[in-house]
Amino acid sequence: MSGGKAWLAILAAVVLLPAFVRHAIATEIWIFAIFGLGLNLLMGYTGLLSFGQATFFGSAAYVAGYLLKYYGIDIFLALAVGIVVGAVSAALIGYLCVQRAGLYFIMLTFALNQMFYFTAYQWTTVTGGEDGMPAIPRPSVLGFDIHPPLAYYTAVALLFLASLWVMKRIVESPLGKILQAIRENELRAEALGYDVPRMKLAAFVVGGAFSGLAGVLYAMLFGIVPLESIGFVFSGNVVFATLIGGSGSLYGPVIGSFVFIWLSESVASVWARWPLLLGVAFVIVVLFFRGGVVEAWARFRSWRAGHRAPAAVHADGPR
Amino acid sequence: MSALTRRDVLKLGGAAAAAGFTFPAVLRAQTKEIPMLGLWSFTGAFSDVGPVLDRGMKMALEERGMKIQGKAIKYITRDDETKAGSATRRAEEAVDADGVKYIIGPWSSGVALAVSEVAKRKKVFHYFSGGTEDISGARCHRYSFQWAASPYTAAKTVVDTFVQANPKAKRWHLLVADYAFGWSVEKYVKEVGKTHGIEFVGADRHPLGEREFSNYVTKAAANKPDVVAMINFGLDAVTGAREIFNFGLTPKVPLILTWSSGVEELVQLNPEIRENMWVGSNFYYTADTPVAREFVKSYQAKFGGPPGYAPAAAYGMTRMMLHAMDRAKSTEVPEVIKACEGLEVDDLVGRMRVDPKTHQTLRPYFFMRCKKKDAMKGPMDFADIVATGSTPLPAEYAACKDIGSL
Amino acid sequence: MKIPLLVSQVLNGLATGMLYALMGIGLSIITGVLNIPNFAHGALFALGAYILFTMMQLVGNFWLALLLAPLGVGLLGVLIEYGGIRPLYKAGHDYQLLLTFGLSLIVTEGIIIVWSPVGMSQLPPPLLRGGVDLGITFYPKYRLFVMVTAALLVLAAWLFLEKTRYGAIMRAGIEDKEMVSLLGIDIHRLFTAAFALGCGLAGIAGALTAPIRGLNPWMGVDMLGIAFVVVALAGLGNLLGSIVAGLLVGVAQSLVALYWPEASVAVIFAVMAAILLVRPQGLFGIR
Repeated sequence: MSGGKAWLAILAAVVLLPAFVRHAIATEIWIFAIFGLGLNLLMGYTGLLSFGQATFFGSAAYVAGYLLKYYGIDIFLALAVGIVVGAVSAALIGYLCVQRAGLYFIMLTFALNQMFYFTAYQWTTVTGGEDGMPAIPRPSVLGFDIHPPLAYYTAVALLFLASLWVMKRIVESPLGKILQAIRENELRAEALGYDVPRMKLAAFVVGGAFSGLAGVLYAMLFGIVPLESIGFVFSGNVVFATLIGGSGSLYGPVIGSFVFIWLSESVASVWARWPLLLGVAFVIVVLFFRGGVVEAWARFRSWRAGHRAPAAVHADGPR
Repeated sequence: MSALTRRDVLKLGGAAAAAGFTFPAVLRAQTKEIPMLGLWSFTGAFSDVGPVLDRGMKMALEERGMKIQGKAIKYITRDDETKAGSATRRAEEAVDADGVKYIIGPWSSGVALAVSEVAKRKKVFHYFSGGTEDISGARCHRYSFQWAASPYTAAKTVVDTFVQANPKAKRWHLLVADYAFGWSVEKYVKEVGKTHGIEFVGADRHPLGEREFSNYVTKAAANKPDVVAMINFGLDAVTGAREIFNFGLTPKVPLILTWSSGVEELVQLNPEIRENMWVGSNFYYTADTPVAREFVKSYQAKFGGPPGYAPAAAYGMTRMMLHAMDRAKSTEVPEVIKACEGLEVDDLVGRMRVDPKTHQTLRPYFFMRCKKKDAMKGPMDFADIVATGSTPLPAEYAACKDIGSL
Repeated sequence: MKIPLLVSQVLNGLATGMLYALMGIGLSIITGVLNIPNFAHGALFALGAYILFTMMQLVGNFWLALLLAPLGVGLLGVLIEYGGIRPLYKAGHDYQLLLTFGLSLIVTEGIIIVWSPVGMSQLPPPLLRGGVDLGITFYPKYRLFVMVTAALLVLAAWLFLEKTRYGAIMRAGIEDKEMVSLLGIDIHRLFTAAFALGCGLAGIAGALTAPIRGLNPWMGVDMLGIAFVVVALAGLGNLLGSIVAGLLVGVAQSLVALYWPEASVAVIFAVMAAILLVRPQGLFGIR
């Protein structure tokens, strides 16, 4: 159950990636992976399709970015601020959203995301509006200057590994099991005595904390908090990435982040119409590969081994 | 874990890391090559201008045979997606991974401020053309230069010329895009207008990217103005002009587009909408200078239609940068910057001089009057240039107090 | 506040409100019958506008173009439902929703590829150009036309849903799908019809909008959000509610723009969130 070999693969990826990919892109991949881990706690494990994760990511980025820029706070405080803002905004949104289910839940996460987006858009004196918030500094870590791209990559990669470990502990904990139970059958979970709305809220808060961390790291990556980081498209991107990787696995969002960032960076510089490919890929994944890369790979292996595809649902694993 | 075994993940991870990444390897810029970045929009709100900006810069570089100071020029473009975030990323990557030291662009002024930060942080040369005073004003620094005329120059040219042609039009209504640039131009238009005894019967601000102009138009009409002057750009200007026409305000009441792209905006309207429109612009293709004539001829021969402000600006900025390299006899950024400061040439729009204190290019601004449908000699014959003006921003308004050091 | 200005603002609000109502009705039918918020609704709105534009270029007849636009988009809706949404019934609503999200990207990028990203103008037909003097204020003819046409379309939709058998089936489908299929009605056909109808309404809303706002590939983006707001306010599948909600949003927007333009958009979503929290079935809905 510990997935030691999986960890080996990920460590290898972390170490080898900068050799193949521009450092800034590599860093972005891990940041997005942290973001995806947060979403997947809601989507894959609890069965809540949250279409507004950018609310937490963006809010954290703006608040931490603002403090970094105008108050020159140190890096540990910035990270803490990011996590807290992510968690608090998620608590707020989550509290409002978990009261509704299904269709209304999705529409509500969308509407609240739009509200935050348009507030950021109009509140130009604070957020810079459409121009974003540039000139965000990147303070040093315990005396180490992390301005060089490779140095920042190292810092972010370490934080990613830590986040992955934390998320693993969470999903294997009692909370993780309860969330999966809620996903399987909410009524039954309630009948078993669990406070379902409270558990969902917990999922939101944890997911929000991860999103917030990703947000601060993103702000410091390019030294700017762009308006898009709190927008609906960004929310959609992380859903897409997580789906593509496979929401049925802890590591799905990580793989999805690879695929998504790779697509958007390498293809975008070649063909301006790459969102078309994104849309097509999305449709194909939704129609044929709902388990994402993870499931496709599993199916491929089984086909190779001559067995039928394994059952997609396991009692003690995500779907 | 689920049915996916650890071995699967290991294999998958290994495969991905080893095989999947077809990113170009980190490039080592050769010492004999000068990489130059054209930061244009190929997706997003300004995606229509990306390709023509690319043309303009390429033309200016090709005129020199893609060489400068004995070194080969490597021209690369990156899509800024008309977004500050993407522009920052791509510009930084271009500097870090491709060794770029010269950036021309972007097109959007909001995005430009973000790119200007990158230029300052990475210490690379940056030329921009667009509607923001800040590049040569409050956020000035040694690495960024502004090619478009100062909003003051624009306002003065527009107001002075229009008043001269229409002395009886005393009541003006303003429709202003609600951001820093709009406010600056509004301020200057009001100042210059007051010296002519103009009464500003109304001034409304609309959010950038507004699609629903009907409300503003009815407010304007209610004031019964002699003139409506819009201070906005791109799609906002086009949408506004269309609505003003739909509501029957124009052509009875003249409409001024104070800061326009010229061709790029006018082509999106119809001759009926354009009747009695007066347009201020940083470039129009009937400009009568030797450089402009050559450029327009070449462009038309190559691409079929006349160039608008966008390709002309890209062309113009690149030329100014190359002139600076000529003057410096070098391609090292600090020397080129010093050579650019105080550079004075007869170039695309006429006499052009770069103010060393603010990095603002002092040059003429154009004011045109659109033609009626039957006066047009062809589908692209939108307007005639009525006047040019080059009054620089008075020193007391200059927000750039100290341009700093390299 | 001057009366003529107020009257014009209210008329503006009614005109845009009618378009919002059309979008709301279409989305409401889809969401009510199929239970998926159609994230492609805005892109389909844009497509309707572009089809009108091309028909005008090819044929020059505005009325024909106005007819073909919704038919074209409706046809696309049939294809989408049959080829994309139907195969995903078993997978669940979440995946159907995600499909529409992917489709919105495809449609928007498709528009850019076919027509170019440059914005374009579309003049109303000569008959509808210029304005009328309403005594209190001068108002463009075309906007009045849009108000009337949208009202007629809404009336037609109402007649269809209330007075025809098929309409009754659709309403039943919104209420209780299981019962409908138990009654022996082909639920799949119902879904296809509902989806196509919703798309067609988006298409005609876009076509009607083109002469007012011009065309650009992202013209549907704002509309999507507003359509969601209208549906949330009205309650799923509630026709009358969509009309009232659409007009409310339109007029409110116009009036707010008079006093506090910056907040006009954020406020709409705040209201939507509030309604969803307090009364998720909308102001008028029953479910």
